[in-house]
Amino acid sequence: MKRFMTGLCMCVWLALCSVAPVLAADDLASEQARRQVEQPLNNAPVWKEVRSGQQNYTSVRGVDAGVLINPGGQTWRALRNGPVTLYGGLIFCVFALAIGAFYKIRGKIMLSEPKTGRLIERFNSAERIAHWSMAISFCILMASGLVMLFGKHVLLPVIGYTLFGLLAQLCKNVHNFVGPVFLMSVLFFIVMFVKDNVWQAIDALWIRKVGGLVSGEHVPSHRFNFGEKTWFWLGVVFLGLLVSASGLVLNFPNFEQGRLLMQQANIVHVVSALIIMTLSLGHIYIGTLGMEGAIDGMKSGYVDETWAKEHHELWYNAAKHTARHSDEIQRSPDTSGSVART
Amino acid sequence: MARMKFICDAERCIECNGCVTACKNEHEVPWGVNRRRVVTINDGVPGERSMSVACMHCSDAPCQAVCPVDCFYKTEEGVVLHDKDLCIGCGYCFYACPFGAPQFPQSGAFGLRGKMDKCTFCAGGPEADNSEDEFRKYGRNRLAEGKLPACAEMCSTKALLGGDADVLSDIYRERVLKRGKGAEIWGWATAYGKPEQKPAEQPAKTGEKS
Repeated sequence: MKRFMTGLCMCVWLALCSVAPVLAADDLASEQARRQVEQPLNNAPVWKEVRSGQQNYTSVRGVDAGVLINPGGQTWRALRNGPVTLYGGLIFCVFALAIGAFYKIRGKIMLSEPKTGRLIERFNSAERIAHWSMAISFCILMASGLVMLFGKHVLLPVIGYTLFGLLAQLCKNVHNFVGPVFLMSVLFFIVMFVKDNVWQAIDALWIRKVGGLVSGEHVPSHRFNFGEKTWFWLGVVFLGLLVSASGLVLNFPNFEQGRLLMQQANIVHVVSALIIMTLSLGHIYIGTLGMEGAIDGMKSGYVDETWAKEHHELWYNAAKHTARHSDEIQRSPDTSGSVART
Repeated sequence: MARMKFICDAERCIECNGCVTACKNEHEVPWGVNRRRVVTINDGVPGERSMSVACMHCSDAPCQAVCPVDCFYKTEEGVVLHDKDLCIGCGYCFYACPFGAPQFPQSGAFGLRGKMDKCTFCAGGPEADNSEDEFRKYGRNRLAEGKLPACAEMCSTKALLGGDADVLSDIYRERVLKRGKGAEIWGWATAYGKPEQKPAEQPAKTGEKS
């Protein structure tokens, strides 16, 4: 807890030191001019100024070249190499183990009634493209990002310097080019799915019953239940955009942004990435291993009626009124987009 | 074994940029890369001070600590060097370094930076001493030739010193003694009272720089 608080304090300090130098520089310059007369050779004001991170004069051109001492570097190092790597890694591993344990105890969530064989369209092709372009770019970024943060401690001792150097080089380049693809697909995804992720009255029931995750009871919901909505707003919208925005700061150093901004962006990027990766393990689990039939909607676009009824009853009821079922749809695939949804 | 260090005497540096030029010439570094630079604090204001700065070859080097591929290493003489074959150009060493030493030959979109370049204390890199490869990647290896860093050797006022820390300490200690303003260098006047309190004891002249 104490270390966590230290980390928090350092974060605040890192944010503050962007404003601090502006306040001090002029005072210190005049103090040094006075000191030069009163106590020559005592340059205390200069050394104080040097630590303030202000831009001084230099004939050499470059980002922050006029800054003699980079004040945020030590803080960034302490945060990144300390609590961020340690607790981020621990939380990621613990969550992965917890999901493994949940699978062992609860097992796969099966449908309580047999499949009807009648299919109902859940995601059209545009929605699936939005989801999979985001999912695939996310997985590439996750793998390459993990190599760059933890590889030095986990992979390097195993595969050696030459191989790890090549791998890290590949990961860094792939990470930098796939990053903007992820941002684009996140934006596309948000546009496609935001209308079905707004608050609906039935969500209160889901919260009360915690989605039936423990009891195994089926809680009715519209197209998306409250768990999926939380993942949409917290995971995709908030963390997805945060991780993308901070990533852009790091990805485009050609705008000559200073070190302080990049140190802050790096901490925001790594922390938000670690949270989104940890949470994504839950999403990936429930979408594949954890629940019978869940992957079908994103794989083919169609889910079995039994699955729809058990997991999204209100959506199913509304869709049944207007939608034509798979036998019709498969005959004329062009009209599949007209399948109505709530 | 000697521990190699740099020291820059702020009372002597005249901002001639001789060290910067010497370094560029010695190592034939690419355009845009400056392993050493001179920073002037309070430029144009009475009491301005200039400092020549490059990699200081830290004992607990932040670049080494944050490098995701662990490409830094220390020589027996305490010089911090890195392996450009491993470097991925992520820029983390640049975020962490207190002195702004790491340089990148490019600055493009998509994190394009090229391999990091920095002061080697004129000690080359992991390649064979004074080999062609070593020169191309890291510049000249003067230490292997029995010479000290070019910047310090070039310094016209001998503000910048580079070499065995014990020798440098002796030189600097002697300078401090000869400047003859004793107590004020240590900041005693700040801590124990302003000179106005005992004006008679203060010498009239502002002190000779040696």
